[in-house]
Amino acid sequence: MKMGCLNGTTISLSCLKLAFPSYPSSFQNLPFRRTIKPLSAAVQTSPATSPSTTKVEDQGARSHWKAAIDFKWIKDNKEAVAANIRNRNSDVDLELVLQLYDQFFNLQKEVERVRGERNAVANKMKGKMEQFERQRLIEEGKNLKEGLIALEEDLLKLNDKLQLEAQRIPNMTHPHVPIGGEDSSMTTKLVGSAPEFSFPVKDHLELGKELCLFDFDTAAEVSGSKFYYLKNDAVLLEMALVNWTLSEVMKRGFTPLTTPELVRSSIVEKCGFQPRGNNTQVYSIEDSDQCLIGTAEIPVGGLHMDSILAETLLPLKYVAFSHCFRTEAGAAGSATRGLYRVHQFSKVEMFIFCRSEDSEHYHEELIKIEEDMFSSLGLHFKILDMASEDLGAPAYRKFDVEAWMPGLERFGEISSASNCTDYQSRRLGIRYRPLEAPVASPRKSKSNLAPPQFVHTLNATACAVPRMIICLLENYQQEDGSILIPEPLRPFMGGRSVISRKS
Amino acid sequence: MKMSCLNGTTISLSCLKLAFPSYSSSFQNLPFCRTIKPLSAALQTSPATSPSTTKAEDQGARSHWKAAIDFKWIKDNKEAVAANIRNRNSDADLELVLQLYDHFFNLQKEVERVRGERNAVANKMKGKMEQSERQRLIEEGKNLKEGLIALEEDLLKLNDKLQLEAQRIPNMTHPNVPIGGEDSSMTRKLVGSAPEFSFPVKDHLELGKELCLFDFDTAAEVSGSKFYYLKNDAVLLEMALVNWTLSEVMKKGFTPLTTPELVRSSVVEKCGFQPRGKNTQVYSIEDSDQCLIGTAEIPVGGLHMDSILAETLLPLKYVAFSHCFRTEAGAAGSATRGLYRVHQFSKVEMFIFCRPEESEHYHEELIKIEEDMFSSLGLHFKTLDMASEDLGAPAYRKFDVEAWMPGLERFGEISSASNCTDYQSRRLGIRYRPSEAPVASPKKSKSNLAPPQFVHTLNATACAVPRMIICLLENYQQEDGSIHIPEPLRPFMGGRSVISRKL
Repeated sequence: MKMGCLNGTTISLSCLKLAFPSYPSSFQNLPFRRTIKPLSAAVQTSPATSPSTTKVEDQGARSHWKAAIDFKWIKDNKEAVAANIRNRNSDVDLELVLQLYDQFFNLQKEVERVRGERNAVANKMKGKMEQFERQRLIEEGKNLKEGLIALEEDLLKLNDKLQLEAQRIPNMTHPHVPIGGEDSSMTTKLVGSAPEFSFPVKDHLELGKELCLFDFDTAAEVSGSKFYYLKNDAVLLEMALVNWTLSEVMKRGFTPLTTPELVRSSIVEKCGFQPRGNNTQVYSIEDSDQCLIGTAEIPVGGLHMDSILAETLLPLKYVAFSHCFRTEAGAAGSATRGLYRVHQFSKVEMFIFCRSEDSEHYHEELIKIEEDMFSSLGLHFKILDMASEDLGAPAYRKFDVEAWMPGLERFGEISSASNCTDYQSRRLGIRYRPLEAPVASPRKSKSNLAPPQFVHTLNATACAVPRMIICLLENYQQEDGSILIPEPLRPFMGGRSVISRKS
Repeated sequence: MKMSCLNGTTISLSCLKLAFPSYSSSFQNLPFCRTIKPLSAALQTSPATSPSTTKAEDQGARSHWKAAIDFKWIKDNKEAVAANIRNRNSDADLELVLQLYDHFFNLQKEVERVRGERNAVANKMKGKMEQSERQRLIEEGKNLKEGLIALEEDLLKLNDKLQLEAQRIPNMTHPNVPIGGEDSSMTRKLVGSAPEFSFPVKDHLELGKELCLFDFDTAAEVSGSKFYYLKNDAVLLEMALVNWTLSEVMKKGFTPLTTPELVRSSVVEKCGFQPRGKNTQVYSIEDSDQCLIGTAEIPVGGLHMDSILAETLLPLKYVAFSHCFRTEAGAAGSATRGLYRVHQFSKVEMFIFCRPEESEHYHEELIKIEEDMFSSLGLHFKTLDMASEDLGAPAYRKFDVEAWMPGLERFGEISSASNCTDYQSRRLGIRYRPSEAPVASPKKSKSNLAPPQFVHTLNATACAVPRMIICLLENYQQEDGSIHIPEPLRPFMGGRSVISRKL
């Protein structure tokens, strides 16, 4: 279909997609924009879906949320982004993203241009004119409108495709992160030393059995494998660990929270997890778009979604206690028996929202808090700067703590502290308004107000209860099979200093 | 199809279903019986289904579990059972159950008979005989075998139908339970008195808002309505309530537990809940037969499923802390705003397994523990003996505690204590072996050992955290909007005596 227009140039719809780019003056008319921004930046996130709608399989549908990806930056830093994708062993197709982006950019220009022409026609019709002239203009206006609708439809579809592919691009990586697989992770600190035992060392399962602390067998019948009941002193130990951890982290200025453990699947995705991928870690609820959380990081991240925070509020530091649920699909083997890998566990999680320039500082603060706590419990552990292939898409840098587990005869992960920079905030839509304009100006005006920036988010495990229980039982076992309770936990266990066999 | 048999009587399959009953001596050959018992008693429960099989829609399938229903007792007490069904406003169809039972009983007899005939033929073939005679016997044996297979198939299907209908029959009812609807429930006890306020009383939502204790709005975006975050002192209050409650109940000899919060749907059903009914309270997991628990009663009941306990172990008393998840489908209205009706909450639950003659005693013990705890928190409450229509299928008798909530201007349920007698144990397969034979005999022999009996189970809410939070905030509010913390909780809140506005 060809459309005529005022200046005599005919435009065919097929040509519109490849029209020459021109600089847009504003995007206020685009239905999906909230703010006036250059093309490369923020795209509106879609409204929250109700529990009964929108399965992720509909990723082509318009209601799927949009991440505020900085396409211009990616384009300008193409080699670095490509190298990063390689270093992280990610399978995202950068070329495709850039291609789709160019197409999108150009199509958007064309939409603007046609919109401009339509406005011009509408304006023209305000004046006096002959009937046949008016008729001609009406016809032209109608053609332009139809063409516009089709173009806008194409634009939306193209945006969906672009988003689908671009959301898979992992976060950039801190320059100090070792490149490679798990063997490349670097130990940055070693604390304490492995206890020496003058008697045969038992693992936590055996210790737990003798002390009537767990029941895995019945749980397997009631619920399935990798579920468990905690009994007797193990319950007190869990409560003590949670209470003590909350107390320690609160002392450091973190706001305590408990969170929903069912969340909409879109929130899970925005945090960088894949609820419906192969081997997903995420349990989904039947007939609903809700999922069980695998970590409190998710609902805490969601606490400030789609918000612009005042800079004075930052940093926001939360310590959240929740139960966590993980399918552990694809994880099998002897290293996963007992409490080491389970489907449900209690965890105390730290989460920080801060200004971009502060995130590295808070990453150090979080790992320091963890070190202090694990040291005070007398554990022997090492801190690892995780290598590029082990980071996970959201993390710019990740420190893991692995503690010595004598019964397993190896180090086992007990916590993880990630700096996600703006990866999650660009998806969750969390920004802050800086107090002062970046450029000093004698005259303060609205255009001097700094535009909102994306916050940086960080998360760190303060206490993953089952792993801590393994550490405490195995490291503090006595020859008679009893367990010595480390000092800091005793006030939280009614003053008790030992877990021993029930008579 | 007609089958001939040795004694010359022809049997048609259709007649078998109405064959004359005859006393059977043993049922060892029946594939689904574990023990030697009269027909009317225990039927084996089926093996646990794996997470990837058996949706409840397949209730006709043979793998659905079987309840050990005492059909003979029901038949002998038909009028009482019918009256009970009426009093409870249940839609169980007793006539149908009795009909199906008679069919089943008779069909079972017939199966035995045919089996006997087949054995007789097999025995005959052991002797010497003419080739023609042998051939005839082989033919006869083959016919009997085919007929038997068909009969056994029918028997299994009939049993499934019988079970489906019979499982809906509610528990019998304690003679003192008032007959009727909720207006008929009787107040057993009234404790304390409503506090008097010299200032306008606020509800918990308003108090919580001023004190930065909850966030419902963001939770609605992240998870859906009726979800919430607890913040600041509300987190400490939750921890204090849980810790204090566990401590109080443990002092009374209860064993502490934490439980799986995902369980197989069959276990949910065996406890008397309906995971897949309309308006079910139960969340189900996608692509799995697992559900989220609505109460720790379920995994605790499952702790001893398919077991025979030594009598000396009884009573077994557990206090379990878990999160609970409820869809609250069908519950709407203003009485459900805020913390009063939510999808997820923390709860400390008491559970007792005991001998039948002791369940009424332990029911009184449980309600006394609750009353003592609520009194020590200074609450004003009443204990109700719930009327027959409000009992719920498993409960023989149920005491509810309703506490005064000044902000809601009414009493609200904070706990429930049920004596389920053998309703759950017959479904979960939990029995005990009495230590001594019921009849003294000079000579101890295997036949003098008393047969296993079904235990009785009881469950009672020690602390439902959100309802308790409502009570504490609303009753202990001060004029300045702060909250006075009751004495017993202060040690569990680091000695604090007030919740007040954050600076």
